[in-house]
Amino acid sequence: MSKRKIFFVVLALAVVLALGLTACQKATPAPTQAPSGGEEATEAPTEAPAQSSEPIIIGTTDKVTDLDPANAYDFHTWEIFHNTMDTLLHYKPGTTDLEPGLAESYDVSDDGLEYTFHLRQGLKFNDGTPFNADAVKWSIDRVFKIQGDPNWLVTSFVDHVEVVDEYTVKFVLKKAVNYFPLLVATYPYAPVSPNCYPADEIASDSTCGGIGPYKIDKWVRDVEMDLVANPNWYGEPPKTSNIIIKYFADATTMRLALENGEIDVATKSLNPTDYADLKSNPDIQVVEGPGAQIRYIVFNVKMAPFDNKLVREAISYAVDRQAIVDKAFQGTHEPLYSMVPMGMWSHIDAFPKRDLEKAKELLQEAGYSEDNPMEIDLWWTPTHYGDTESDVASLVKAALEETGMIKVNLQSAEWATYTEQFGSMGMFLLGWYPDYIDPDNYTYPFAASDASDDIGCNYASEKMDELFQQEQSATDLRGDARKQVFEEIQKLWAEDVPTLPLTQGKLMVAARKNISGIVLDPVMLNHYFLLEKTK
Amino acid sequence: MRSLGRYLLMRTLLTIPMIFVLVTMVFIILRVMPGDPVKASIRPGAPQEYIDEIRHSLGLDKPLYVQYGEYLWDLLHFDLGTTLSPVRGQSVAEQIWQHFPATLELSLAAMLVTAVVGIGLGAYAAHHRRSLADYSLRLYGIVIYSIPVFWLGLMFQLVFGVWLGWLPIAGRISSLSAAPEHITGLYTVDSILTHNWPALKDSVLHLIMPAMTLGLYLSGVFVRLTRSNMLQVLKMDFVTAARARGIPERTVVYRHALKNALIPIITMLGLQFALLLAGAVLTESTFSWPGLGRFLVERITYRDFPSIQGTVVVFALLVASVSLLVDILYAWIDPRIRY
Repeated sequence: MSKRKIFFVVLALAVVLALGLTACQKATPAPTQAPSGGEEATEAPTEAPAQSSEPIIIGTTDKVTDLDPANAYDFHTWEIFHNTMDTLLHYKPGTTDLEPGLAESYDVSDDGLEYTFHLRQGLKFNDGTPFNADAVKWSIDRVFKIQGDPNWLVTSFVDHVEVVDEYTVKFVLKKAVNYFPLLVATYPYAPVSPNCYPADEIASDSTCGGIGPYKIDKWVRDVEMDLVANPNWYGEPPKTSNIIIKYFADATTMRLALENGEIDVATKSLNPTDYADLKSNPDIQVVEGPGAQIRYIVFNVKMAPFDNKLVREAISYAVDRQAIVDKAFQGTHEPLYSMVPMGMWSHIDAFPKRDLEKAKELLQEAGYSEDNPMEIDLWWTPTHYGDTESDVASLVKAALEETGMIKVNLQSAEWATYTEQFGSMGMFLLGWYPDYIDPDNYTYPFAASDASDDIGCNYASEKMDELFQQEQSATDLRGDARKQVFEEIQKLWAEDVPTLPLTQGKLMVAARKNISGIVLDPVMLNHYFLLEKTK
Repeated sequence: MRSLGRYLLMRTLLTIPMIFVLVTMVFIILRVMPGDPVKASIRPGAPQEYIDEIRHSLGLDKPLYVQYGEYLWDLLHFDLGTTLSPVRGQSVAEQIWQHFPATLELSLAAMLVTAVVGIGLGAYAAHHRRSLADYSLRLYGIVIYSIPVFWLGLMFQLVFGVWLGWLPIAGRISSLSAAPEHITGLYTVDSILTHNWPALKDSVLHLIMPAMTLGLYLSGVFVRLTRSNMLQVLKMDFVTAARARGIPERTVVYRHALKNALIPIITMLGLQFALLLAGAVLTESTFSWPGLGRFLVERITYRDFPSIQGTVVVFALLVASVSLLVDILYAWIDPRIRY
């Protein structure tokens, strides 16, 4: 009899499972883990004002690539660096303003070719090696030797580094670059201990770190990383002494783990539908911030029919950004009308709003009609931008076909294949995360004649090149003259349409209600050292 | 027994050409299918010269037959090469060795679930032929096999992880407990060996859902197979004789008949091992289980050729060894079998 009961239980479970598919809503999330005290940070900072020893667990679907600033070139690894290795200058949390980091101050020579940094004194790397000008020079020389993925951020600009005295170091540039301080805040410039990293080899699994609020206590690749507060950190001690990062293979699993309290914070990235659902969960908060990631279409301007400016312009009038934002991204993105993101210095809405009639006019001018529609391929990739990408592609197709004069064939390829096809695709979807927070980083790589072919756009314009030359040589990084140049660049962009900006993503983090200190900014690196768990 | 020995030797030797053919096929497929490991690992827009430089340093610019020859030569020396992407230069063998215990632990636990649930329910269904339980179990056999394994996993997570809050959702052990000291790499076994009872409880709790997902998914086949074999055996003379001697029905069915119905089922267990590994690939992704399956999926998206090839070789060796083991078991259980 009791066994018969089991079958009914099985049957009942099957029904529950089936219902679960349609109603994927939370019930009463029951936190299963009573934090058993955990392991406290081995050494507590001496002047720590009320530092919490209860660990905070952060979930992510991102991966660490190389734990070596000379070769890592991805957001999550940079986020780890952000919390474990400071740079000479860094961004003030919550802003895009630079502030002194491991350097207390710096001077620039009149010709803009020499930057002299005055370093903080008395600091030590985690292995006890003293931090000084030699270590800074050694770290930069190492980037030159290794020639890793992000090396261009150093090697394209820096000619060499000179040690002036123990705590003064001079960077001599190849050419004057007004945004050099922004480059110094990127991680290939992070000083590392000469006694802990090999001089000319990538140390993919090194947990040495640099000098940061945290140091890496334990790391199991793709499983977990434990960070503990660095007792020798010069700045304010982290709010929480122990941060654990848990790596997930799947966004849905991460969402469920947040709901049942296995993790405290879920970041990069849940699906847009998850954020909408989690907002209605009383135990979860969804924090939104300005993001700097943008989505856009790239045209290969040397390939027919996109070699015709009228066609590109017509497409720019026909796309429906609002539909993409509402339907595909469910409010986690905003419509974007320039390659320079909203909220970034010098942004203007350069591209026109949707105008189907205008699009039709331009198409007619280009020789197309409803009887003779233009047939084009739109390429997208299912494996790099998340599950929403197929919707984005479908919505672009629908919007263009609304003109009645365009027929769009959707073509997809896995990321590994996709990147190989740059140059042979006529029109394709892509996304951009910044290397440094400046409009130059959102424009130059696409439209400068010496860089555009690398992204498969092949755009070349003397006027645009001249504008880039002007903005890069302007003396004042945030001066009006440079701002004007960027406005001109954006206007020219809307006329020539080498790429077509679509949306700008918001930065979103979901966390349990008892987590505070989530500060989001366009730099897009989470500040673990500000997080705090109450109760 | 001599003939069995010769058979086993033959089978072992045949594994070598099998692996060779497999490796060759994987090598060719990976190179023929589009996708570049270097471009997949670096951001779009990197200068072509830089990409070429990396390709050169990794030997990817050599002619294919040279790459193939080098790969085979290394393989003969048990060298699986180094990773290409996303991290370059790590030993593939080491990576596989690190991920293998997690997959082994999951597979063994899932096999246990499959055997207990599949064989137990199958025997029960045969015993209660044409009852409601029998019909339900036959239906269960079909339904559970046709449900996508990742969906089953998600539903378990939702019901037992979120709604009921009984079981953890992801990983092999909670972030707040320390993993047991590494001896075998199987957390449950290591916990027992080191008398680390909190870790044992934690790792068992983490193991339940993935093992149930994978195990129940495969149990459908066994429910049906056991049932049909049992029905045949229950009609045999020795069963009638046993019943006539007044042996209790339960003993007749579960002790005498089941034992005799087991032989084809054991063969099936061996055959299903390949399916188990395929299921593990999906289950590991669903439960963020850091095993070889998840490793393989990730490396496929990066086109990390040496890692993919290495994992396939290991999977092939596993399947070959298990089927060999099954053959030995087969001969051992049924003394009539000769090779």
